[in-house]
Amino acid sequence: MSSYNEKSIKYSGGVKAFLSDWMIAILFVILVALCSLFSPQFRTTANIMNILRQASFIAIIAMGEFFVILIGEMDMSISSTIGAVSIFFAGFVVKMGIPMLPAMLIVAAMAAFIGLINGLLVVYGKMPSFIATLVVMNVLKGLNYIYSGALPISGLPEEFNYLGAGYVGVVPFAVILMIIVAAILIVFTSHTALGRSFYSVGGNKEASKLSGINTKFVGVLAFVLCGLLTTIGALGLTSKTLSGNVTLGDNLLFDVMTIVVLGGTSLTGGRGRIIGVVIGALFLQVITNIMVLVSINTYWQWVVKGIILVVVVLIDSRSKKD
Amino acid sequence: MIEVRHCTMEFPGVKALDDVNFTLLPGECHGLVGENGAGKSTLSKCITGENRMTSGELLINGEPINLAHYSIRESQLKGIAIVHQEFTLMGDLTGVENLFVGRYETKAGFINWKKLQKRAYELMEFLQCDVNLDIPVCHLRTAERQVVQLAKCILDNPKVVIFDELTAVLQEKDIQNIFRVIGILKSRGIGIIYISHRLDEIFECCDRYTVLCDGRHVSTGEVESLIKPALIQMIIGRELKNAYPPVNEALGDVVLEVKNLTAPKAFENINIHVRAGEVVGLAGLLGAGKTELINAIYGNHKIVSGQVFVKGKKVHYTRPQMAINHAGMGLVPDERRTLGLNMVFDIKDNTTLPSMKLFRKLGIFLNHEAAAKAAYEINEKLNLKYYSLWQNVRKLSGGNQQKIVIAKWMLRDTEIFLLDEPTRGIDIGAKFEIYTLIHQLAKQGKAVILVSPEMEELIGLCNRIYIMYEGKIMDEVEGERKTQEVIINSLLGVKEK
Repeated sequence: MSSYNEKSIKYSGGVKAFLSDWMIAILFVILVALCSLFSPQFRTTANIMNILRQASFIAIIAMGEFFVILIGEMDMSISSTIGAVSIFFAGFVVKMGIPMLPAMLIVAAMAAFIGLINGLLVVYGKMPSFIATLVVMNVLKGLNYIYSGALPISGLPEEFNYLGAGYVGVVPFAVILMIIVAAILIVFTSHTALGRSFYSVGGNKEASKLSGINTKFVGVLAFVLCGLLTTIGALGLTSKTLSGNVTLGDNLLFDVMTIVVLGGTSLTGGRGRIIGVVIGALFLQVITNIMVLVSINTYWQWVVKGIILVVVVLIDSRSKKD
Repeated sequence: MIEVRHCTMEFPGVKALDDVNFTLLPGECHGLVGENGAGKSTLSKCITGENRMTSGELLINGEPINLAHYSIRESQLKGIAIVHQEFTLMGDLTGVENLFVGRYETKAGFINWKKLQKRAYELMEFLQCDVNLDIPVCHLRTAERQVVQLAKCILDNPKVVIFDELTAVLQEKDIQNIFRVIGILKSRGIGIIYISHRLDEIFECCDRYTVLCDGRHVSTGEVESLIKPALIQMIIGRELKNAYPPVNEALGDVVLEVKNLTAPKAFENINIHVRAGEVVGLAGLLGAGKTELINAIYGNHKIVSGQVFVKGKKVHYTRPQMAINHAGMGLVPDERRTLGLNMVFDIKDNTTLPSMKLFRKLGIFLNHEAAAKAAYEINEKLNLKYYSLWQNVRKLSGGNQQKIVIAKWMLRDTEIFLLDEPTRGIDIGAKFEIYTLIHQLAKQGKAVILVSPEMEELIGLCNRIYIMYEGKIMDEVEGERKTQEVIINSLLGVKEK
């Protein structure tokens, strides 16, 4: 009988596993080093803070999508959810005169409800998540436009701007918010039974069910969490312009997916980490930033991001073969 | 036809084969036996070119092979075919399509279905099997799919066919059919390498045998002059005394009782009970409803009528979660890889999956340290072979994987163990360890329901055996009536006079 210490030595899986776990972090460090080396503008404190600030809200939204991908599904509806949160929040505050805090809670409840519908369709309706959330995305988009008449609703109070543009010392408030959310979720995913259940369901739903995990509850909860986290991100994005806009989330789905996968989350579920999502968001933002700084046409961003996603997914599917 | 000389195969850190010699003669069926991890599959992969041996020689039809360039493609050209246990068929395509996929014969650019169909049925005739090749293969029975797979592999007129555990998932009468096919192939002068866990099969269909143990060649000889105990001893490298542990006689109260349980298309009117400390067997052919029945008890299969009582109290579970938390049930499912384990998880997380919530600190947070310690203790107790708790379970052998699936229930307050074919596809050594484990569970006063396709196993381990036939309990045997003959009759639906 060998001792507990002997058998509990962290098996890292060697260099290979270490690299696959931390590859994105290593690449990120290299990327930042290269950028700093070649662009003096890049390495200014103001620019770094700007990158962090811009990455924060998209990172929070990606953390929501992370839970859905972790259980092996996907949520296409977040772009419409972002639009809904933005336009309804502005509508509630500007048109109906509801104070901001209650208005935030109402839109959060709405987003959670959207997540609930997604979850029910996928888990109880047994619809493929791609289709179910695509339908929800379009229906919701329609409702957004009906409510707003396709016009932005501006005139949100100045103090709301603090959420997206405020600073605590030199650090943007958005960054602090993102760190708090990430910290809570890291503890949740690795140190609570419920958090671990997402991994288990994503890894093997049937085995999890037979081991006594309420797989349906976990499945629905993933979509609800996605809705809630999307709310925080969407409110932050709205606060930057102080106006509600239905098109706010239109190009974000792709970025969010890229971030989640870039962060090492397996598209088939069961593997991934919140910290990876954070690094993924920073990675993507640095790419965008440096392309602006060296004045490359912005349309090239789409090309570059597309290539990044393909490369990452290729690496992910190759690593699964072993 | 095939000669392997001084074959050594090294994987990083492991010597999978060590100086193994092997010869296959034309028209013989050569049984390749050994425990899991003994090197049977590795040897067959060396022959098919899937693995490249580190050193040694390979001769096919007396011709030495240049190992540096040897590949699967070349072995196929030389007439070596392998039939795997895992299905490599495409479920939604018909049998004919599956047979010819990748080598469709065309006429003016179009697939000549008529000709393919004709050839497919000629093939079936040759194998003397009657399988419907015009429906998607997912509608075929397991045994029929095996036949299709076999047919696909003899399409190229191979000279050597390797059967890799083909019969592990088959029932008795289907195995007989495979043996018949082997006979036909043999009569054509085709050499057969037969890999199996079921030793009885070696005696039934093989001419010669080779035993491997820990990658070493132990013995080769004629099956005729072989007796079973000697074979077992060679396989495990030690002598086995008392194959089965004694049956526990100290029984307690009835823990689980099922009354008139019915589920459409699965089983009807089932009445069974289990006492504390008792091992109750469920025998039956494939499709008799055994798996559905224990899943229904576990809350994982819909029932339309009937009741389940746990310790005298009527219960109704609609989810496994309820059965686990309220009644202390634990299921070891028949499909260990897809239902029992989470393949992306490590040993510790798999072992503690159902008991996660028991290891807590500060109310809501998991105590990983305590969970790891508990996982370590239980796995050591079960004699698990592993090097780290943080090792992925995917690469463990079948027997070790199964131990984890059982261990996870021993970590919590499980009172009723539902074991669905716990020894499927695992080697003899591990089997006996599982038997001992079942005995220990009974000794501790746990109630055990054991489903098994192996009658010997049920007779050896169970206090009582229920025999199911097409969804009904045909018979209940204990004591003197616990014999193979009685069980076989009921299995096949024959009533005793």
